[in-house]
Amino acid sequence: MRKISRLGSEARLGWALVAPALAVIALIAIFPLGWTFWESLHLHELRMPWLGKPFVGLANYAEIAQDPRFWAALGHTAFFTVVSISLELLLGLFLALAMNRVFRGRGFVRAAVLVPWAIPTVVAALLWRFIFESQGGILNALLVDAGILNQPMVWFIKASTAWVPVILADVWKTTPFVALLLLAGLQNIDLSLYEAAAVDGANAWWQLRHITLPLLKPAILVTLIFRTLDGFRVFDLIYVLTGGGPGTSTEPVALYTFNALLQNLRFGYGSALSVVIFAITFGLALFYVRGLGVRLGGDES
Amino acid sequence: MRPPDLIFLACAAILGCSRAQSKRETVLTFSGSALGAEGTLVAKQLKRFMQLNPGIRVELQRTPDDASQRHQLYVQWLNARVGNPSILQLDVVWTPEFAAAGWVLPLDRYQPQRDEFFPATVTANTWAGKLYALPWFADVGLLYRRTDLLAAEPKSLEEMVKNAQAAMSRRGGPRYGIVFQGARYEGLITGFVEYLGAFGGRIIDEKGEVVVNRPEAVRALEFMRDELYSWRVAPLDVLTWHEEEARFAFQNGNAVFMRNWPYPVAAMSDTAQSRVAGKFAVSPIPASANAPNGHSTAALGGAQLTKNNYTEFPDAAYRLIAYLTAPEQMLERAQAVGQYPTRPALYDDARLRGAIAIPLENARRAIESATPRPVTPIYTELSEILQIELHRALVRQAEPREALNSAAAKINALIERTGMRKLMQGASKT
Repeated sequence: MRKISRLGSEARLGWALVAPALAVIALIAIFPLGWTFWESLHLHELRMPWLGKPFVGLANYAEIAQDPRFWAALGHTAFFTVVSISLELLLGLFLALAMNRVFRGRGFVRAAVLVPWAIPTVVAALLWRFIFESQGGILNALLVDAGILNQPMVWFIKASTAWVPVILADVWKTTPFVALLLLAGLQNIDLSLYEAAAVDGANAWWQLRHITLPLLKPAILVTLIFRTLDGFRVFDLIYVLTGGGPGTSTEPVALYTFNALLQNLRFGYGSALSVVIFAITFGLALFYVRGLGVRLGGDES
Repeated sequence: MRPPDLIFLACAAILGCSRAQSKRETVLTFSGSALGAEGTLVAKQLKRFMQLNPGIRVELQRTPDDASQRHQLYVQWLNARVGNPSILQLDVVWTPEFAAAGWVLPLDRYQPQRDEFFPATVTANTWAGKLYALPWFADVGLLYRRTDLLAAEPKSLEEMVKNAQAAMSRRGGPRYGIVFQGARYEGLITGFVEYLGAFGGRIIDEKGEVVVNRPEAVRALEFMRDELYSWRVAPLDVLTWHEEEARFAFQNGNAVFMRNWPYPVAAMSDTAQSRVAGKFAVSPIPASANAPNGHSTAALGGAQLTKNNYTEFPDAAYRLIAYLTAPEQMLERAQAVGQYPTRPALYDDARLRGAIAIPLENARRAIESATPRPVTPIYTELSEILQIELHRALVRQAEPREALNSAAAKINALIERTGMRKLMQGASKT
């Protein structure tokens, strides 16, 4: 009896101690989310007060389901996420392996590699926009001088070519971050494993496949989860580089939502879009954590 | 009061709208373009107004100079029924939206003289038969041409294309024939409206019907596309260009013609920065020679002044608006910053001659040919639909007819969704 009551009071104390933290979480995470969801069940157009603010149930969600621009935007987002993350992982792994070597000036190289990551996205995007500009852009000048192009190319008027600067800019900017995460993973691998493998006559490729990659898996998964969520919410880069054009062929869901919510001030519909994006990213995170067993906590598997 | 309103109220209060409201004194707040020379001018005119009206104090409330940012702020404030700023500066396409929302009230009870303004500027500010704002200054689309390459202004769009081709093929001729604003933004609509008028088409007709997919409109869009791909007089680059990129191309001597607003005239006349100083002229954009109903058309831009519905001092606010839009102040504005008066009578005034850089007769002709963009409360969303579809056609993601059909269907759906059908039919009967 005594033991149980003591446990109970300890539990109560525990709850009391975490209560402030829980309250903060409720205030800054759950409350806005709940409000957004509540908004999404209404027809609420700030620009059209004559429509009132009637409760419309799931009508906004039904509109999303039938909205080709939303589905296209979702496709663009998925495309952007998959392509840019694949490239970033490959290049990042390569960089991390190189940085893991012992060589002179390693500290300097590690710091230097991080420079693109340190530049604000909007600035980086503008930089890449200038590079790809049709008139006076550096890239066009180089390609024409080298004889690869006959005349300057207008990168931003074709969907296929408009993606090039977008993906390049993202890869350029984020690869260092990926490399750093992977480097941290690499440094956790016990060097004696490689020594043993070398004694057994395993070559470098075999060591990479059977030692490095399996042991790097947790770091890779953590990187993936960060990058997938970032990729799905991509906004500023595309906003600056293409504005979602030509037409709407590079428009990601975040840009479309911004447009509905803040340009057209369709609070109901825009909120519904926000909830959908939240659901998708939450689902992805859940998939990584549950499905692939990513450990975000400190406990070892 | 609903919670969102409370939040907006709080924000508005923080943003400094609560100054001295409880006192007896009449305090107006003026918001509008107040940068550089324009700011100096506004300050001067407000000071003079206060001297003439000792009981009224006018304060300047800064708002972003970027139109869409200012729009967003206004909408948030007005949704919260904030009385400041008491004077609003509206873009030419906002008036019906603000009127239908009840954010601004008709000015008719003050009996403004409608016929003293250019008709197009009055139409743009009229909703359901009532006038909601007074035109402050006008902006119009103009055709710039190189006088060293061409003898006379082209009589038709077709002639313009021919002239452009001829000048381009001359030895040392410019790289581009025609440059305009073709990026996916509002500027694309203004250019399209001009070609649409040139071919006798419209976006929405007098009966409130969406007619943007009629044959005239398709021909107008095909013409724009042919300039890019068939006759190759316009570079594909224009599909990413705004006003400034077009100006740079023309100013550096790289184009025969340019579609733009009046603002570049000053910079381009300056020999220090312009290669075409003294070598260009401006005229109205011509009609098509092959369209029986086509007429020379300029898109109408510019700013309007009106009073906030929630201001404590509506009469004083109107007095300030009337003062700022009076002939003397307009003339002074033209002299200080080169903006075109909205009163035709001023174009007979010799004092205006030095103020605007182009012959008065050309300016007046251009404003007389000006057509407002669709006068409807849902303009912004309508414009977004059209921007996307026009751009799709121009970058060859879609055929012109297909793009315009799609635009028409989406605009009709928008009209239904917002309950605008009846209102728009009623509004056109004025």
